[in-house]
Amino acid sequence: MLVDALAAERFRLLKDRGTVFWGVLFAPIAGLVLTIGGELFARRLMKGAPPIPVDLVGRMVKALAGGASPVMGLFVLILSAAVLAGDYRWETWRLLTPRNGRVNLLLAKLATAAIAVAVSLVLYALAAALGGLFSAATSGGAFVAYRGEALTDLAGTFAVSWLQLVVLVALAALVGVATRSTMGALIGGLVFAAAQSMVAAWMHEPSLKALLLPAFSGDLLKTALLQDRSVVDEPLPWAKALAFLLAWAVGLSAAALALFQRQDLTRE
Amino acid sequence: MSFALEAEGLTKTYGAVRALDDLTLKIPAGGVFGVLGPNGAGKSTLFRIAMGLVRPTSGVARLSGAPAGHASSLRQVGAMIETPRYPPYLTARDALKMLALQSGAQDADIGGWLERVGLAEAADRKTSTFSVGMKQRLGLAAVFFTRPSLAILDEPTSGMDPAGIQEIRELIRRLAAEEGATIILASHQLDEVRRVCDRVAILSKGKLVAEGPVETLAGRKPALRLVASPVAQVLEVLGDQGRADGPDAVLAQIERGEAPALIRALVGAGVDIHEARWREADLESAYLDILQAKEPADAR
Repeated sequence: MLVDALAAERFRLLKDRGTVFWGVLFAPIAGLVLTIGGELFARRLMKGAPPIPVDLVGRMVKALAGGASPVMGLFVLILSAAVLAGDYRWETWRLLTPRNGRVNLLLAKLATAAIAVAVSLVLYALAAALGGLFSAATSGGAFVAYRGEALTDLAGTFAVSWLQLVVLVALAALVGVATRSTMGALIGGLVFAAAQSMVAAWMHEPSLKALLLPAFSGDLLKTALLQDRSVVDEPLPWAKALAFLLAWAVGLSAAALALFQRQDLTRE
Repeated sequence: MSFALEAEGLTKTYGAVRALDDLTLKIPAGGVFGVLGPNGAGKSTLFRIAMGLVRPTSGVARLSGAPAGHASSLRQVGAMIETPRYPPYLTARDALKMLALQSGAQDADIGGWLERVGLAEAADRKTSTFSVGMKQRLGLAAVFFTRPSLAILDEPTSGMDPAGIQEIRELIRRLAAEEGATIILASHQLDEVRRVCDRVAILSKGKLVAEGPVETLAGRKPALRLVASPVAQVLEVLGDQGRADGPDAVLAQIERGEAPALIRALVGAGVDIHEARWREADLESAYLDILQAKEPADAR
C-alpha cells in the first residue's frame, strides 16, 4: 500500500543524514550564514550608517520568491537523486520491489522528496527571518510592517517556488529511472535547470513558448502575486502559467512512473 | 496438488541471449525444492520473473496460483535474489525496520529475528561494515521475518567461506523446519542441495533437463570407476556405457552383476586394470551426467 511505502521512505530518508544535510538543511544554513556574514561585512564597511529598518515578513517573502533559483535547485537535485535513484546505485530495488507495488514505491519517493523540499523551503524562509532578527539586534534597526498581504504572499510564493522545485524532483525521477543512475538524475536535472533559467532570462513577453519554461512560468506567477495591483496595465496570464507548471510536474512524474513500471530490473 | 511456483512456456531473451527457453516447471508447495544448473542456466532469471523484477518475453509464471510479480502474489513471498544489498547508511535493525514498514508489517519481531540469525550484537552496526556472510544472514532474516508461506533463496551461500556455508545451511534447515514455509533454493553447492532439499530441478541453457526427488536423481547412476590403461581401449569396449573420468580413469555405467564379465573382457582385450571401485551414486555425478547428456528427462 502507498501509505506503507510512504512510511518506509520517510524512515529511510531520516536515516540518510548526508542527504538530509545537503538536500534539506544546507541551503537554509548557508542562507543564514551568508546573511549574517553580509550584515557584519556591511556594518564594518559603512561605520556610522543609520540602522536599516527590518521587515521580517518581507525578508521571508523575498527568500521564498527566490527559493527556486538554480542554486537552490542544485540542492533539491542532490536530494532527489539520492531518494529517487539511490536504489539503482545501491542495487536495492530487488529488496523493495517484492514488498510493494512499483507505482507505490516510486510515488512514495516522489512524495517524500516533495515533502522534504517543502521543509527545506520553510527552513529557508525561517533562516531569512532569523537573519532579519540578527540584523535588528546588532544594528538597532526597527521592525517595520510588511506592505502587502502577508499570508497570501507568503503562501503564494511558497507554493509557486515549491511547484517549480517539484518539477525538478519529477525530472530527476524520470532521468534517474531512464539512466538508472544518481549522477544521471543530478546532471540531467542541473543541465535542465540551468538551461531553462538562462533561456527564461532572455524572454520578456509571456508568449506560449516562454510559458512552457517552468522558470518563466514560476517567475510570472510570483510577479503576478507580488506586483502592485494599482499600476498593472493588463492582467498577466497566471492561469496559463500555473497550468503549464502543473503539467510539467504531473507529466514528468507520470512518465517516470510509466517507465519504471515497465523496466526490467535485471541489474539495478 | 497446489504449486508454489509454476512456469509455463516461459521465455526470456536479452538481445541475442535466451536466458529462459520455453521453460515449463511446476514446483509443489511444501518442503525444500532445489534448482540446480550451471552459470547462465536461467535460475536467477526464473526467480527475477517470479518476483516481478523482470518481465518474461513470453509465457506465464504464477506464484501460489496468482500471476507472478503481482502484489497479491508477492504478499506471501520472501525472497533473497543473489547477494543481498542494503542502503549503506542503514544499520541491520534499520534495514529490517524499513522493510517491515514497506511490507506493512510494523509488528514484526525485528530484534528476535536478528537474534535468530546471529546478528543481535551487530544489530546497530551499519550494513556497509558487514561481511558477505553477515549480509547473507541479514538477508535470511529479511526473507523470513514477515513469515512468508514461500521463500525463494538464490545462491544463499554464494561468496562465503566453508564455515559460513555450513552455518547458513544449518540456518536454512532450521528455518524450514520451524517456519513451515515452502523454500525454493538455487545453488551451485550440490552438497548443500543434497542435504537441504527434498526435490530438485536441473536447468541448462534456460531449459528444464531433469526434475524429481533428490534420492531418485542421485540414485539412478551407480558407476564402476576403473583406473586402467589404455583408456581408449576401455572406452571402446564399454561403448555407450563408458565415459572418461580424468586422464587415466573410466566410469562404467553398468549393473553390479555385470562387473566380473566386464573385467574379464577388458583383460582379454589387453587392458591393464590398476583399480576397480564402485562409486556410490550421488547427486554430483547425476548432475554432471544429465548436463552432459542435455536431454530433457523426468525422473518422477
